[in-house]
Amino acid sequence: MLPILANGAFRNGLIVFAFLGYLILIGIPGRLGGSALPILALVAALFFWVRLRRDLSDIEGSFLRTGGATGKPGWRIGEPGHTSPQEAGTPLPGREGTLAIRKGLLAGITTGLLIAVVSFAFASAIGSGTSIQPVLDKVVPVNVAALIGVSPGQISNDEVPPLRYLLQVLFFTAAGLIAALAAVAARVHGLQTTAVARLSTYLDSQLFRKAARFAGILLPFLLLAFIAWLGIPGVTAFGSNEGTVRLLLTLIATGSGLFALRLAHPGREQKTVALLLALGVLTLPFILDQFQNSVMGLVFIFVMMGLGLNIVVGYAGLLDLGYVAFFAIGAYTYAFLSAPFSSPYISDLLTFLGISPANPLLGYWTALPVAMLTAAIGGILLGIPVLRLRGDYLAIVTLGFGEIIRLFMLNLGELTNGPRGILEISQPGLFGLAPQSFSSGLLSSQGWIFLVALVSSAVVAFVAIRLNDSRLGRAWFAMQEDEDVAEATGVHLVRTKLLAFAIGATFAGMAGQLYASRQINIFPENFSLFVSIDALALIIVGGIGSPAGIVLGALALKGLPEVLRGVDEYRIVAFAALLVIMMIVRPAGILPSARRRIQVSSTEDQISTPGEEDLDEEELDEVTGRRAQAASANREAARGQEGP
Amino acid sequence: MAPSRLTAQAAGVNGKTALRFLLRAFGAAILILVIWRVTTVGLAEGYPASFWISQALNGLVLGGVYALVALGYTLVYGILFMINFAHGEVMMIGGIAGFFALQFSQARGWMEGPWPVVVAALLLIMLFGMAASVLIGVALERLAYRPLRQAPRLVPLISAIGASLFLQYSVLLIFGVSPHSYRKPALISGGMRMGDVFIPYTGAIIFFTSILLMLALYFIIQRTKLGRAMRAVAEDRATASLMGVDVNAVIVITFMLGSALAGAAGVMLGFHNTVVKFNSGFVPGLKAFTAAVLGGIGNIPGAMFGALILGLIEAIGPSALGIPTEYKDVIAFSLLVLILIFRPSGLFGEVLSEKKA
Repeated sequence: MLPILANGAFRNGLIVFAFLGYLILIGIPGRLGGSALPILALVAALFFWVRLRRDLSDIEGSFLRTGGATGKPGWRIGEPGHTSPQEAGTPLPGREGTLAIRKGLLAGITTGLLIAVVSFAFASAIGSGTSIQPVLDKVVPVNVAALIGVSPGQISNDEVPPLRYLLQVLFFTAAGLIAALAAVAARVHGLQTTAVARLSTYLDSQLFRKAARFAGILLPFLLLAFIAWLGIPGVTAFGSNEGTVRLLLTLIATGSGLFALRLAHPGREQKTVALLLALGVLTLPFILDQFQNSVMGLVFIFVMMGLGLNIVVGYAGLLDLGYVAFFAIGAYTYAFLSAPFSSPYISDLLTFLGISPANPLLGYWTALPVAMLTAAIGGILLGIPVLRLRGDYLAIVTLGFGEIIRLFMLNLGELTNGPRGILEISQPGLFGLAPQSFSSGLLSSQGWIFLVALVSSAVVAFVAIRLNDSRLGRAWFAMQEDEDVAEATGVHLVRTKLLAFAIGATFAGMAGQLYASRQINIFPENFSLFVSIDALALIIVGGIGSPAGIVLGALALKGLPEVLRGVDEYRIVAFAALLVIMMIVRPAGILPSARRRIQVSSTEDQISTPGEEDLDEEELDEVTGRRAQAASANREAARGQEGP
Repeated sequence: MAPSRLTAQAAGVNGKTALRFLLRAFGAAILILVIWRVTTVGLAEGYPASFWISQALNGLVLGGVYALVALGYTLVYGILFMINFAHGEVMMIGGIAGFFALQFSQARGWMEGPWPVVVAALLLIMLFGMAASVLIGVALERLAYRPLRQAPRLVPLISAIGASLFLQYSVLLIFGVSPHSYRKPALISGGMRMGDVFIPYTGAIIFFTSILLMLALYFIIQRTKLGRAMRAVAEDRATASLMGVDVNAVIVITFMLGSALAGAAGVMLGFHNTVVKFNSGFVPGLKAFTAAVLGGIGNIPGAMFGALILGLIEAIGPSALGIPTEYKDVIAFSLLVLILIFRPSGLFGEVLSEKKA
């Protein structure tokens, strides 16, 4: 077992160096400025800690970790290398502890030296006036300076104190050491039995549980009250950052509301909490300011999108990457009805018919069914050609469909006014009244949009939840599991699939209409592929198939980036990394639905959506696939024993 | 499994007939529309024959590049049954790396030297692009796909989408939004004239290089021990591993081969389009995937011919249909939909489905 510890120190150091190198290339140190070095060292320490902890648990013979990060099955009882679970907590022999610390130190020194050498090379190149690479010349000096901890001017004048490089090495060595100490300390027997055990018995006590539950339920209300207090004129608790802090608190309050609902006992208590929470959230549009309201409005528009996409992806298991098409159809339908004068073709047509194009044809609420219907028809039209497609083919075709719709919006200048967009779309009213007149000025225009978004997404969520529990919902679920079996049990595949597409599209159409009236002016670039990706990311991060998860996902993915202004360019990279990491670590999402949790955790289930192939072909594939999985798992386990 | 299959067919007979009817009607309508369009508009324009020939040659060049990328999709799909959604980005990174290598050799004046120097430099540029793509492809497999090998099918696909976005926007953050322009050396910037048809040198070079690379790949797969191991793994992973084939190594090598071809394609596409930027791999990636599906995914000669056919259709299509060239992407995607309706296993048959049977 010793080779596991002795090996891999340099490799860990190299991996961390590569990761830090990536961060430097995308310009993170430059952003962090003076605190770049400590923060990067902290990142490195975290990584070392994760790796060392894993190595240590490997030594202890707890190969039984079934699943885990890689999902590879552990050792089976009776095979060599297997240790029973009781042995897993045995005290760590001093030798392994020392080795772990040595390994941490080595990895830290490796990273530190590499960083120092590279920054020295760059600094001296910049100092001597050599151009490294025309494109990189803009990025590198700032970041290298931040990494060394000097000003860019000092680098270009070649006056970096040499001790700075030593400091870099020291920082990363310390990171490795601290990580190793932390990893070993958690494993030392004494610590585990005394402190941790005492803490865990305490955490297990009835009283503590009750208190925690109570606090959890109370938290969103306290936060809402705090937000309201911050809104009182004259109260300034956070100075110039107050707007942002308040937005963050709003996001946290709404998110913690979802957890409070989970904590409450089902039945009367849950209903009361839900009612109170609904009342609390409904007051938000009245107390937030224009900016916060506009962000929250967007968040809830995306909740509607997510709920709709969830029907297609989460319930029916059809991966749709062109979902933005229906969003665009809803938005443009309402735009044509509300601002016919912006579209050359429609205004000509109306003039020809003797109707003045200067006024909206329909109001928001009367246009709603039209937008929903148009989107639903779009959904069915997309659905028909892709009825037979398998999961991954479907994804690509729908992606193409989304792009086609965008290309049409861009190039059909006569109808959509091309890249100049449709302008002056009207906002929703209430029986012909502007929001200010019935709220006596309490409701700003964005607040009204937020309120409409809240109510609409509540309706959509209600419909989605009821659908999931309905006969149709069970048909979707059966279809997702296995189309042939579902068909054999009497599910009408064509109707069921088309209904999923149509209902999902309807919700997207509603969201699109609200989005158009929120934006007032819409352009084809509002409907790029990223809307689809955002919607998909939020349901995946939140938890596919779970409405609460979708709200949480929307808060986190659409709301948080607004709070973290200035890191906007890193948003997509962070999302993308998050998608990959979520798939590896927690494919069911943060707040998974009960069904999904079962489904994803069992590796033998395949959520494939087979086409028209014969059943026995699929069966055979399943069997060989499983055999192959077992074989490769065994091989991997065997390799794990020899060391990486 | 025979009884359950029979029941499935018996119960689903209504659903399937209706579905088939709908699909056929949909496809037939589109076909009639296309034929009507071509005969009344496209051919009525009266373009000279040389116009069609030079368009077709353009299409073949583009098709050759698509073929290299499509082979990557097909190889990976054949072995792992997953769509490597980030493959277009692997190609783009090859293009970006090739751009820097080109800049490097221009700064040293290699591009103005005697012709052997220029040819050697061009080869080096391509090798550099291929190396960068291989590096990214292997990292992708290790970090984003290997941990998910046992997961349900949608999971690696979503991970691949994430990886694709990650690569695109990392390149955006590192190298900026603005396109990097490839400056052709004087040696290959001209062209030759055959009658009324003008053939640019770059086009000819790209076409023949891609054919050469495809032949090399075909040789590796059909004639070497490594190729035999790859085919064995594609056929049956478990049995191959029992026969002593290192499955993990074969998968990594498959990614390497696919990525190397994509890197070469990226460099050549850079010379062809004269620019490369962070999202220039996305649409060609989709097109190449379309090409792989067109030829039958998992089928190596299928991917090559599918790509050439797609390139031809894309080059000739807009003029034949009499529509603006902005819609050439629409034509490619519509073709994908049509193919999937009428022949889901592709024009040359999906090797995959034979294997499953």
